Amino acid sequence: MNEQPRALRVPRMVEAFDHFAGAAAAATPGGATNWRGTLLHIHIAEAASYEMEELTEARCIAGRGIEGDRYFAGNGTYSPKADVREITLIEQEALDALARNDPPLQGGAIVLRPEDHRRNLTVRGVPLNHLVGRRFRVGDVILRGGRLNFPCKYLEELLNLPVYLALYNRSGLNCSIERGGIVRPGDAIELLS
Amino acid sequence: MFVQATPSNFCLDPMTARLIMKLRVAQARYTASDVLHLTLVHPRKSELPAWTPGAHVDLRLPDGRVRQYSLCGDPQDRSRYEIAIKREMAGRGASVWAHAHLTEGTLAHVSAPRNNFPLAEGARRTILIAGGIGITPFVSMARKLEGEGADFELNLCAASPAATPLLPELRALCGERLKTWFSREGRRFDTAAIEPYGDRGHLYVCGPPRLLEPTLARARAIGWPGASVHTEVFKPLVDENFKPEPFDAFIASTGAVLHVPADRTLLDVLRANGLATASSCELGVCGTCVCGYRSGRVIHRDVILPLASRQDRMTPCVSRAHVSITLDL
Repeated sequence: MNEQPRALRVPRMVEAFDHFAGAAAAATPGGATNWRGTLLHIHIAEAASYEMEELTEARCIAGRGIEGDRYFAGNGTYSPKADVREITLIEQEALDALARNDPPLQGGAIVLRPEDHRRNLTVRGVPLNHLVGRRFRVGDVILRGGRLNFPCKYLEELLNLPVYLALYNRSGLNCSIERGGIVRPGDAIELLS
Repeated sequence: MFVQATPSNFCLDPMTARLIMKLRVAQARYTASDVLHLTLVHPRKSELPAWTPGAHVDLRLPDGRVRQYSLCGDPQDRSRYEIAIKREMAGRGASVWAHAHLTEGTLAHVSAPRNNFPLAEGARRTILIAGGIGITPFVSMARKLEGEGADFELNLCAASPAATPLLPELRALCGERLKTWFSREGRRFDTAAIEPYGDRGHLYVCGPPRLLEPTLARARAIGWPGASVHTEVFKPLVDENFKPEPFDAFIASTGAVLHVPADRTLLDVLRANGLATASSCELGVCGTCVCGYRSGRVIHRDVILPLASRQDRMTPCVSRAHVSITLDL
């Protein structure tokens, strides 16, 4: 029988602008520029499938992720696959839309709480879909948008909620960390370039 | 000898991911001399994920091992889970760890519940037979059957009342429907007491192989259809005569050939090649790692797959193949 301890996998991160989506978007001008958003919540999970836990502050490490998170440790569900996963964000506005069943695709409103969606940062006033290939700051930390997040069946199973279709095209943004540091709820979020 | 589980109405959802929660041990007490009864609550939430009678949770140990324990509380009470863990000195160490470390106030890493042992709908008569710690899934079943005014009886086999977990609770729940068989009092369970199959009858057995095997054999002999007999086993089946042989696994989607040496499991080899997804018990009892196969002679060694599924599904944590196999991966 296999009873050896879980070996931590070495996380294989792809830098945001090395990802084909991030690279293509970085070379294409456009997107919203005149906005200023706020960080509402920070959540991490210690390992794949573990419930997310809220933090009052988080240390972001460039090239790695958020200290204590499963993708920082390399034991996330998708850690074996090289990807842009240092830090993930989702819009509170998307969660608000789900809560009002808008659009009405899945037979009813879905309350997807910040601790349930499994992205790290819940933000307000930030047009995440415009930030692929862009640099922006959260407090003093600088992030690079690498690719749009995509909903997964795994999340539906974990939550037992029909979120797959509901999150389509508003599932958030996967980023790499250009400059690390501490982030806290309330931090301002602004476009850099 | 292998015990063939023949669950008819179970919902096999092996690939379903389940949330893992860090639950606080609100109460830890002994319900028999070697059985620890734990009450678990969420540190931040008032409601835990819902469950139905017969469901179990996975308990995760710090070293990565996972063990299944039936929920033995009340499914209507969403504020807590209850499990009972028997200290198995001859076991694989997980229960000893749990007894030593899961004291009041500590955190237990527990999955959301899954039910591989549900009550059949529309039963006319239900017979439950439990051996020792095998009583745990039947507590919530008995509660539900009693609440519905269903026709049922619960046979409880143990060494003595003192060695029987949850006995006061069961007496209060079941009244005269509880039939106790205490071997030290000279009343050992006799399979002759199993009544013949009647229309829409269902028989549930949970306990050690020495209870399970004769009970299933007797039920078959007196005409119980396999689909009406339900078992749950949280222990690996020991077959001292089984000698693992190496084999090759062809991966249908990529054409890759993976060699599985005699001293490694197929799951282990799949995992090492980035192909395995979820796994849990690694004993062939939980069904988490079940995958499909297209051709080859599989040596099925699990106790979870129904016979009908064995033609194209296998359990790579324990099952193997003769010479080669093509996996639907």
